[in-house]
Amino acid sequence: MSALDRRAVLTGLGAGTAALATGVADARIRPGDLKPLIGPGHKPTETDEIGLWQQMNRVEEEVAGSNLLIKDERLNAYLKGLIGKVGDPAAKDMRIYLARIPEFNAVMFPTGFTVIFSGLLLRMRDEAQLAGVIAHESSHFLLRHQIRQWRDMKRKSNVLTFLAMGAGIAGGATGTYTGDLVQLAQLGTILSLFRYNRQLEAESDALGVKLLAEAGYDPMSMSETWDQLISEVEWSARERRKRPNRGYSIFSTHPAPRERLNDLKLSAQELTVPGRTYDRGRERYQAAIAPIRHMLFDDQVKLNDPGASQYIVQTLAKDGWSGTLQFYQGEIHRLRNSPQFQAAAAQSYAAAVAYPDAPADAWRWHGIMLTKQGRREEGRAALQRYLSLAPNAPDAPFVRQMVQS
Amino acid sequence: MNRHLLALGAALSLALSGCAGVGGGGFGSGYSLIRAARPVNVGNGAMTVMAPREWNRADRSFFTDVRWVEDWTLNGPYLDGISFVTALPHDKRLIREEYKADRQVPKFRSDMTAPEIAAMIETLYRIRGSSVDFRTTGLVPRAFLGTPGFQFDFEHLDGDELWRRGRAVGAVVDGRLYMIVLDAARSHYFDAALPDFEAMVGSAQRRR
Repeated sequence: MSALDRRAVLTGLGAGTAALATGVADARIRPGDLKPLIGPGHKPTETDEIGLWQQMNRVEEEVAGSNLLIKDERLNAYLKGLIGKVGDPAAKDMRIYLARIPEFNAVMFPTGFTVIFSGLLLRMRDEAQLAGVIAHESSHFLLRHQIRQWRDMKRKSNVLTFLAMGAGIAGGATGTYTGDLVQLAQLGTILSLFRYNRQLEAESDALGVKLLAEAGYDPMSMSETWDQLISEVEWSARERRKRPNRGYSIFSTHPAPRERLNDLKLSAQELTVPGRTYDRGRERYQAAIAPIRHMLFDDQVKLNDPGASQYIVQTLAKDGWSGTLQFYQGEIHRLRNSPQFQAAAAQSYAAAVAYPDAPADAWRWHGIMLTKQGRREEGRAALQRYLSLAPNAPDAPFVRQMVQS
Repeated sequence: MNRHLLALGAALSLALSGCAGVGGGGFGSGYSLIRAARPVNVGNGAMTVMAPREWNRADRSFFTDVRWVEDWTLNGPYLDGISFVTALPHDKRLIREEYKADRQVPKFRSDMTAPEIAAMIETLYRIRGSSVDFRTTGLVPRAFLGTPGFQFDFEHLDGDELWRRGRAVGAVVDGRLYMIVLDAARSHYFDAALPDFEAMVGSAQRRR
């Protein structure tokens, strides 16, 4: 376990994906064929699992004490409630931690705690989607995937497989976690859509979608999420004129992510009861993340990954445009920082300030863009509006000078 | 800039090359001594500053650094660093960027206003410094090199779970960016290096 240091894990990302491409059954796993392998209050009884749990308890202590966690009590209670709905039958044993890292990811640990990364919350359109991810992650726990994977890894001596698993399980599940949440976020289990053991992922998909449907959520919401993940990676790559490279271009002769998506859709259709109305919980979800929504957007958009950010904004806009979405659309264009996108940025800011929910920042950038276009008076008025909305903003002194000059 | 950010991001970024890490020993990763109280040319030589005490200048690597930026440190790049940006031209970056990287630090443009330069710096820290939280604490007008410029104050929480604090003082002169940036651990190290930073800002002169 300790032999797998960070570099080995990272090297494994490249070397290992090839190893994973072999020996995977293609048949879809039916949700009805899977049952949780553990019940409430599960405790390990065998020596190797006891050892793994002891290590994981130390990891959990570290995670629980991290200052990268988002502490908002209501939001954490909300997430805990969702596990209660879809994490049967061991829901009461599960813990959830929300880390402020802008990655589309979540990780389940073998002892039943999960780390949700804030980037995931930004991308979910409604509660059903988030519940789908949590159901999928819970299924890894309920099906004892981590210990099964860990034993499998020890049994095989093939070094490529060893590295691949180390990489795929993201350190989290096998104890290669190095105390670094940011790294964990970049290697976690959802991204394993592209690089993890597909048999286990397919199992988690199947059981997850069943748990989701049983909790009364639209079972299709889970495949929507996977679709968003794949599309976002593709948009991001297209922007930089390259092939999607998050570990799955190696599969180009074997389109695993899309196949899995199709399997998941079939399973969801199987579970959909005709005529029944399913809960999406959009309003509940929006209310729960409202206190941190701007922060989530800032954290993503300021990474200047315009393809990905653009995809996120467009996806969320399917539920309706708002001042916030228009504003961040402008931010994406502005950070692209090329002449052809400056005009697009200016337009987005202008559109944003027409909405009642436009953030104060939209007025500042609207004003700066107008000024740069030579429309000084209009620009000044917009900057003044910014100052009246945010008189104590940290940059107000500079903006005041811009207004006066 | 590069040295310090690499230190912040060292444990985190997948794309980092092995030799670009922290500390001495590796190829192109040494330091040289800066003497106190005498003018020193920094960056590409377009600016001189005077340090009130001895600092360590990080050697630049052809492969990872840009020639308009130079880094100094007192206690090593995890704890503190001052970066000098000298006459950065239009369409160039503060840092060498992989042309196909998903996340890219924006290029400097000669018509950038101070809020845009501040946003460019924020993006730099978020991408290269692995900052998960970045807060602007101030953006005020301030003369630099005898020109109207800005002072940008900020704080950031990085992937190594340490809060750091920074101050950038800069101005755009003849379409080129001149700037000095202090960035250091928020507890102790920022305050300890601030007087030196202010002395350097005060002593900075453009060389023609």
